Amino acid sequence: MRSSPAMLALVTDAYGGRGGIAQYNRDFFGALAKGGLPSVTVLPRQAPDFPMPPETIEQLPARAGRVAYSVAALRTALFQTVDVVFCGHLFMAPLAALIARLKGAKLIIQAHGIEAWSQPSRIQRTATERANLVLCVSRHTRAAVLSWAAIAPDRVLVVPNTVREVFTPADGSAQRAALGVEGKCVLLTVGRMDSRERYKGHDRVIAAILDLVAKGHDICYLVVGQGDDRARLEALAQDAGVSERVRFLGALGLQSLIEIYRAADLFAMPSTGEGFGVTFLEAMASGTPTIGLDVAGAKDALADGELGTVASEAELSAAISRTLDQPKPDPVDLATAVHARFGQKQFANNALNVLGRLTETA
Amino acid sequence: MTSEDGRLVVVFNGEIYNYPQLRTELESDGVHFCTTSDTEALLHLYARHGAEMVHRLRGMFAFAIWDQLQRRLFLARDPYGIKPLYTANDGWTFRFASQVKALVAGGNLSRDLEPAGVVGFHLFGSVPEPFTLYRDIRSLPAGHTQWVDAAGPREPKPFSNLAEVLAKGAANPVLAAEIPERVRDGVLDSVRAHLLADVEVGVFLSAGVDSGALLGCMRDAGYREIRAITLAFEEFNGTSEDEAPLADQVCKRYGARHVVRHLSQQEFVEDLPAILEAMDQPSIDGVNTWFVSKAAREAGLKVVISGLGGDELLGGYPSFTDVPRWRRRFGGLAGVPGLGFFARALIARVAPAFSHARPKALGLLEYSGTWAGAYLLRRGLFLPHELPEVMDPEIAREGMHRLRPLRCLGASLKPDPGSDVARVCVLESVHYMRNQLLRDADWAGMAHSLEIRVPLVDFTLLSALASSIPAIAKGAGKAALAAAPTTPLPNEVVTRAKSGFSVPTGAWIKSVVGDASSSIGQKPESKGIVSRRWSQAVLNGAALAKRPLEVHAS
Repeated sequence: MRSSPAMLALVTDAYGGRGGIAQYNRDFFGALAKGGLPSVTVLPRQAPDFPMPPETIEQLPARAGRVAYSVAALRTALFQTVDVVFCGHLFMAPLAALIARLKGAKLIIQAHGIEAWSQPSRIQRTATERANLVLCVSRHTRAAVLSWAAIAPDRVLVVPNTVREVFTPADGSAQRAALGVEGKCVLLTVGRMDSRERYKGHDRVIAAILDLVAKGHDICYLVVGQGDDRARLEALAQDAGVSERVRFLGALGLQSLIEIYRAADLFAMPSTGEGFGVTFLEAMASGTPTIGLDVAGAKDALADGELGTVASEAELSAAISRTLDQPKPDPVDLATAVHARFGQKQFANNALNVLGRLTETA
Repeated sequence: MTSEDGRLVVVFNGEIYNYPQLRTELESDGVHFCTTSDTEALLHLYARHGAEMVHRLRGMFAFAIWDQLQRRLFLARDPYGIKPLYTANDGWTFRFASQVKALVAGGNLSRDLEPAGVVGFHLFGSVPEPFTLYRDIRSLPAGHTQWVDAAGPREPKPFSNLAEVLAKGAANPVLAAEIPERVRDGVLDSVRAHLLADVEVGVFLSAGVDSGALLGCMRDAGYREIRAITLAFEEFNGTSEDEAPLADQVCKRYGARHVVRHLSQQEFVEDLPAILEAMDQPSIDGVNTWFVSKAAREAGLKVVISGLGGDELLGGYPSFTDVPRWRRRFGGLAGVPGLGFFARALIARVAPAFSHARPKALGLLEYSGTWAGAYLLRRGLFLPHELPEVMDPEIAREGMHRLRPLRCLGASLKPDPGSDVARVCVLESVHYMRNQLLRDADWAGMAHSLEIRVPLVDFTLLSALASSIPAIAKGAGKAALAAAPTTPLPNEVVTRAKSGFSVPTGAWIKSVVGDASSSIGQKPESKGIVSRRWSQAVLNGAALAKRPLEVHAS
């Protein structure tokens, strides 16, 4: 590989994108661009917001259609130097592997969560087995990839998500007053309410509320996020007789989100489907303790219990109760520990390690 | 052990036989030794030469050195893979141990099966490295080093290659007449090196050439007061199958004290649970090593010499004749794409009884087109096309995809060793001996706190004989070994060895696994069938996970 390699990144979205994957991609490319990868060309499937990539990174216009996207990717590869192909989603792995082969370039495949947990199509699998490196956001995703791909385990690395520096701890009492939840025991979940997924665990928290109230916790459960499953969850709270304790706040802007994190007593996301669970990090970076299940990627975000509480599904309610009874950790200490482990600096180190590994591999 | 300055920490399993020379060299370079242990030499060598240190070591070793300054870990395993080293990486934590069991016991690893390990065990009777029976655990391949740092474990890198040594040897072949002298010099040198010890070194003695010649060479190396351990089976008392009388003759010739340990079927059956328990990974062999190690331990020995490896090094197996012959006879036909597959399918259809009774005969057309295929056919317990009958077809398919047995066998022959003998020597050494014999010797010996040393499995010896091996004609290698001691082995040993010995453990195993086991193989008269049943018993036995492994189609 040349000493100043050029990378072509095939991604669902990055700059001008909205979700966690877009954020991860921006963090990753940003870290590489700062750390010695002089040329990064990003080809996204979508960019709903106005894209503003940093100076050294070029993002091509988004191509939503599969054919149009493939043509654009091949055309770009044809006219540019490509030393590394970064494939941001397993779905595009065959295209990325083809381009890597045509250009004699190294191939990195990124695996996030659920898309990599069960065996993909044969061509996606073959493409993955050709990769020089496969990056996974958590140990769980890595183990899943190794279960279906015949690839040397040392080529499959864990590069966890990171948390942005804007998430910091501060006094949340003004926000609590604004919400009218002073004196309450505030639980919070931030996440999409998607009727096709339903793994985030809103149901489990709602089901636990009566029990928690019986144990003396005056619960108020804040639900942030949007999605087509909201009506069902509202009905669920109604049926459980806790609708006055559950408040759906919809989607929030960044600043409001940070303030809500600070206002909560406990961030609870008993999800069974997290690739990693970056909202755990955001909550803890805002000084709020967290609880999640011992399932999938959440264990990584909670650092096996070192940062947040890891509970089994069966004793979720008891674990929430215990955590609420404990004295709250010092918000600044918690935020410092989270940034030390999953902060931007650590993430940049990881990204540069990946680049170093790529140079080593045959 | 920690280095004097606290920078380096080493954990070491094994024995460095050239320690005295290394120490002298290092001391003359101004190195100060704090202990009299070969472990310390590893620290000094690493500090001076880094990863290149492995080229200076003669012996059996698996070790890890933690460099506190550079914050990285260095692992290495000897060229033949005499000592085991297993690793597990979950993406956050890197673990290593000399046993699969230890890593499992440490927790935090899944017990999900590795299909390649399961398939490999059924093909070869032992689990082929780098795979283990568990997906999360791998073996560091023999003759490889590995670095681990904050960026994760690197891919293991080879530092020695048997095929390459033999290929170089083939470039400067010696005359057949020179072989005996070279064998004598090489073996005596290796035996001498392997006698380095601060405790008594005994010897496992059968009535075969390998162990007898080693005993003779121990004597030549100036070793007195040798105790030799022979396993005798009560069934064979007074018959020509009994090895004890001939072994006794060898002992008398070299003035060794003979310890004959009698083994009965009852003891075998009693020990079986302990054997399965001690087995680190499933293996269809190792039972004899278990009992002879037990005998050595009872005699108070902690270190013994074993003739293991003589057949691989000096062309002792039938495979040295069969594999090249099959290649010549059937290789041409097997080269026609698809022919073997269609012939097998056809015969299975028109003559199903034949195809069940002689599965390997059918494989000739399919596999003898390559060295790897012919070897798989020779050593195979089951052939790939039989796997779906003995396990979940999905695991079989997946395992074949992950293991790629023919590609993996073929890769061990790069570069081409240059002669038929050398090719089979590499295949036998790198697969059967490494994954089966050496691994069995390790767990069976360790279970009795016995260190088994193998002078015929020695990279220095292999290098010395590399140019002789291509010229070894059938039987000549063993004849040269028999003549290696100043006082050669008795003629009866050489003559008797040709017709071979049998051990009753096969029949005992049969009595244990019997007909109750399963429907594998329809005709019990076929010789491999007992092994096949035994393999199933081992896999299903209490051997590994203390729970039945769900690999079989229900």
